[in-house]
Amino acid sequence: MLDIEEKLKEIGPYVPEDDDDLLVCRCEEVTKGEIRQALHSGITTIEELRRLLRCGMGLCQGQTCGTLTRRLVAKELHIKPNDVVLATARTPMRPVDMGVGGNDRGLEEDAVKGGLR
Amino acid sequence: MEVLKKELIVVGAGPAGLSAAIEAAKNGVKVTVFDENAAPGGQLFKQIHKFFGSKEHKAKIRGFRIGQDLLKEAEEAGVEVVLNATVIGLYPEKEVLVQQGDEVVHYKGDAVLVATGAAENMVNFRGWTLPGVIGAGAAQTMMNLHHIKPGNRILMLGTGNVGLVVSFQLMQAGCEVVALADAAPRIGGYGVHAAKVARTGVPFYLSHTIKEVEGKDCVTGVTIAQVDDHFQFIPGTEKHFDVDTVCVAVGLSPMAQLLKMDGIEMDTSTGGFVPKCDATGATSIPGIYAAGDVAGIEEASSAMIEGRMSGAAIAEYLGYTDSASREKREEELEKSLDSLRQGMFAPKNRGKKIEKTDEGIPISESLLTKGYVADDEITRFPGFRKQAKVHPVIECTQNIPCNPCQDACKKGCISIGDNITSLPISVDGSECINCGMCVASCSGQAIFLVAEDTEPGFGEVTIPYEFLPLPQKGDKGFGLSRSGEKICEAEITNVRSSKAFDGTNLVTMKVPMEYIDKARFYKAQ
Amino acid sequence: MKKTADVIIIGGGIVGCAIAYYLTKKGVKDIMVLEGSDSIGHGGSSRNGGGVRQSGRDPRELPIAMAAVQKFWPTLSEELGRDVEYTQKGNLRLGKTEAHMKKLQALADSCAAGGLKLDMISGDEVRKISPYMSEDVMGASFCPTDGHANPLVATLAYYLKDIELGVHFYTGAMVEALEKVKGKVRKVILKDGTVLEGGEVVVAAGYDSRRIINTIGLDIPMTPLVDCALVTEMEPEMFPQMLGTAAADFYGHQTKHGSFVFGSESGLEEFIDVKDPNDMRIQHPATLGASCRAIEGWIPALAKAKIVRSWSGILDMTKDGVCVLGRPKEADGLVLACGFNGHGFGTAPAVGYIIAQTIVGEDPICDINPLRYERFYEV
Repeated sequence: MLDIEEKLKEIGPYVPEDDDDLLVCRCEEVTKGEIRQALHSGITTIEELRRLLRCGMGLCQGQTCGTLTRRLVAKELHIKPNDVVLATARTPMRPVDMGVGGNDRGLEEDAVKGGLR
Repeated sequence: MEVLKKELIVVGAGPAGLSAAIEAAKNGVKVTVFDENAAPGGQLFKQIHKFFGSKEHKAKIRGFRIGQDLLKEAEEAGVEVVLNATVIGLYPEKEVLVQQGDEVVHYKGDAVLVATGAAENMVNFRGWTLPGVIGAGAAQTMMNLHHIKPGNRILMLGTGNVGLVVSFQLMQAGCEVVALADAAPRIGGYGVHAAKVARTGVPFYLSHTIKEVEGKDCVTGVTIAQVDDHFQFIPGTEKHFDVDTVCVAVGLSPMAQLLKMDGIEMDTSTGGFVPKCDATGATSIPGIYAAGDVAGIEEASSAMIEGRMSGAAIAEYLGYTDSASREKREEELEKSLDSLRQGMFAPKNRGKKIEKTDEGIPISESLLTKGYVADDEITRFPGFRKQAKVHPVIECTQNIPCNPCQDACKKGCISIGDNITSLPISVDGSECINCGMCVASCSGQAIFLVAEDTEPGFGEVTIPYEFLPLPQKGDKGFGLSRSGEKICEAEITNVRSSKAFDGTNLVTMKVPMEYIDKARFYKAQ
Repeated sequence: MKKTADVIIIGGGIVGCAIAYYLTKKGVKDIMVLEGSDSIGHGGSSRNGGGVRQSGRDPRELPIAMAAVQKFWPTLSEELGRDVEYTQKGNLRLGKTEAHMKKLQALADSCAAGGLKLDMISGDEVRKISPYMSEDVMGASFCPTDGHANPLVATLAYYLKDIELGVHFYTGAMVEALEKVKGKVRKVILKDGTVLEGGEVVVAAGYDSRRIINTIGLDIPMTPLVDCALVTEMEPEMFPQMLGTAAADFYGHQTKHGSFVFGSESGLEEFIDVKDPNDMRIQHPATLGASCRAIEGWIPALAKAKIVRSWSGILDMTKDGVCVLGRPKEADGLVLACGFNGHGFGTAPAVGYIIAQTIVGEDPICDINPLRYERFYEV
C-alpha cells in the first residue's frame, strides 16, 4: 500500500533541473521535466504517467523510452528501478494498419463490416 | 473463427528459434517458425566476425556462416519457416495472431516457443534525437545487411562486446571511429576485442559519457566529459569531437512483450523484463517456452544451445521423446552451455571487478581502461614467449571461453588444456612451422607470429589483417604499437590469404629488432 | 497511515476522485480514497471511449447526463487546472439500414421525451458534417450538445486536484470487507488486515463493488463484461464529433492529440471467463479484426491508420442497464456509486457532485430515486 501524502512528503517538491527540457519519450515528445513535475504532484506509476503525459504511448509503445522512464521514476520516487512496474504489453506488438487488421482470415465472412454480433 | 492448427509455433527465426525448431523437428515435431523479417537468421547475418567458444560452439566460424548452416539444417529437418510474418499477439490457449502481407491469420500451437530476442537500450543526452544518433546494432544492420555506411566520423558510446565489435566493423566498412566512451570505469567487453580496436589508434575514454550531441538538423559534433563515482559530470573535463554519427551500445533489453501479454509470470528480480523460466525455457504456462535473449541477455552461441534445450524439452512435452532421452540430451547441452558460461565474463561475474586470472596473474589494468595491454604487462602472460625462431605470441590475457588456437596448431605450440577458459600458453621448445593457422583462427585477433633477426637488426611480426586495401609485399609504412602509436618504420615482406584463413589475411612486416615485441599493427605511409 | 476519516471512498476511479473533489467543495475536510490497484483510474475510467453524451441515455440517467454537460464539463478544465480536452461538437449516431434508422428514430423520440433535442439527418448531411464517412451511411441522429473528453487526463486531473486540496489517497489498498458498528456501516477492512473507520463509506469500485458490499449482505445483480478499445497513431484533424452507430459495433472519436480512440468488440467477449474482475489484461483474439472491420466499414478513410495499441476493461453491467446511486436503506452509513454499465465517464462530474450532495445532506440536483439500490428488490 502506498500513502500518497507520505510519499510526496518524502520526495519533496519539484525542483527544476538544468536538463528538464531533455526529451525522454521521443515518439510523443515528453520531457524529463514534465515527468518529474508529474511525479512530484502525485503520479506514482508508469501506468499513470502514460495516461497523463502520453509518454510511451506512441508508435514504439515505450520500446525506446521504457527503460529511461523507469530509471527516472525510480530516482524521483526513491525506489529501486526493478520495483517500478512496466506498462502492460498489448496487441498489436507492431503497429498494424486498420485495413490489414480488418482483413482477418480468422473471422467469418459475415463478420465483415459490423462486428460478429 | 478459422484458426489454423500447428504443432509447434516458434516466434523468431534467430539463433535460438531456429535451433529449437531444428532440435524439435529432428525428434519428429512439425514446426512452423514465424519471423517478421524478409530473411531469417536474426542477428546472425549481421555478425561478420568469428565466434568464440570451442568447436562444438562453432568457434572461429563467422556468425553469418553459422546462420547459413542453421538454415540448411532447418530445411533438412523439415522446419517450415514463414517470413514477413509478424506475430502481433499471443492469446490464451496458445493462439497466435500473425500479420502476413495485408491480412491477419490466426494460428494455434500445441506448444509455442517465443524467441523474439532483444532491443537496444538508449540513453538520453542532449541531442539524442538528432538524426545521426543510432544504436550500434542499427549501425551493424545498415553496414552488414544493407551495405550502407552509417556515417563517416563516428563516436561509439559503450565498450561492451557490441560496442567493441561494431566499432571494429565500422572501421572495416571505411568509417573513422574517433573514440569509444563509456560511463563505466572499465571496459565491459572482451579485452581482445578492445585491443584490436586500440591498436588501430582509436582512443578509449572510460568514466566518460556524452554530455551533448551537437547539430541543428543532424549530428555535427559530440562532447563527452568525465564522470565521478556517482556518474555526475566533472567540470572542465569536456572533450569535443567533430563527428557525423554517434553510435549507442549501452545494453539490450529482452523483447518479452508477447509473453507478458499472455500473462506469463515475469521475474520481478530483474524488473519484469525477463520471464520466469527453467533451464529448458519452460514458462509459467505449460507448453509456452522462451529461449535466447528474450529469456535473458547473453549472446548467439548460448542462445543456440538454449534453443536446442527448449526444442528437446518441447519434443518431450508433445510426446515425441521420453524423459530419459530428453534428460540425456539436456545433460549434453547443459555441459556445452556451462563451458560457455565460465570465465571472467560469466553471467555470475557480471559487475564484479576481477583482479587476477584463474592462473593467478594480475589482470592488465591498462587493458581495462585503455583497451590495450601495456608493453611491460604483456610479458607476464603465458602466451608471451621470447624465442629467436618464428613462434606464436598470444596476447590473450583474460579467461574467456575459447580454444580454437589450440586445435589450429598441429605442432603443439599452443596449449590451453581441457578447461576452455584457461589462458593459452605459447609452449616452450615447440616447433612452429609458420603456417599461420593460429593467427587466422583467433576470433580475438590476438595471435602474432614473431621471428627475431630475420635480417641483421630486424625481425618480423605477422599480424591478422581484416581491412581493405590489403597491403602489398614491398609496401612501406609504420609499425603501430598496441595503443596505435606509430613507433617504427615497417616494410611488408609477406601477405598471405587462404580459404582456410576465412577472410583473415596474414600480413608480415619487417621491423627493427627493438620493436618486435611492440609493433602490433601496420599503417601504410 | 490514517485510520479514520469523515468519508472513506472505496475506488480511485473518476467517480471516486470526483466525489472527493466535490466533497472538498462542500467543505468536507477529512476524506480518504482507497484504490485497490497501484494506479489511479486503473479500471473503466481510463479504458473508455471518452464520450460525453446525453443522446441514447436511459431516461433514468438522462437528467444526470444533461446536468454533466450543462453544469460541469464546459468549465472542468479551468476548474481542475488541466486540459481535459472537452470538445462539444456533437454526437453522430450512424445508420446504414432502414432498421438502423428506425432504431435511431426511436432513440430520438425517447430523448425528446426527456427534454433532449436530437436531429435526424440524412446521409448527405452526415457527410457534410464529416466528409470521411462511408457512402453507405443512410443517415444519423445528431445531438449537437454532445461531445467527448480525454478520460485518462480527466480522471487524473480530478485526482491531482484532490491531492492539492488535501484528500488522502492510498493506492494498492484493496478492500477485503466492510463491517457495521452498532448497525451503521463504519469499518473498512483492507486485504492486508488494516482496519479503517469512516463516518460515511462510499463504494465506487466498479464491478468489484459487488464483492465489497456482499460482505455486509447487500448485492447488486450485475455481471462483468470485457469491453475492448484501440488507439491509432496520430492522424491529421479529421472530425471533432463523437461517433456511434445504430449497430452498436463501434464508438469513439479523434482525440486532441490526433489519435483515434475507438471502442468495439466482436461479440465473443461476453463469453470470456472473467476469473478476476481486477485483472484487465485479458483480450479476445477476435476483437482486433472485428473492430477494424467495423470501423473501416463506417470510415473507409481510416484503412491506412496504424493501430498502435488495444486494451480491454471490465464493464459492470446491471440487470436493468443503469447505475446504482445513493444510500441503500438497509445499510446506514453506506453510499453507492457503481454499476455504470459503461456510461460512467461522461456522467462522472455530475455523479460526483450528486453523491457529495447526498453525503452532506443537500437535495441532489437530479432525482436519483429511480437509481436507488432497492429497485432490484421491489415487487
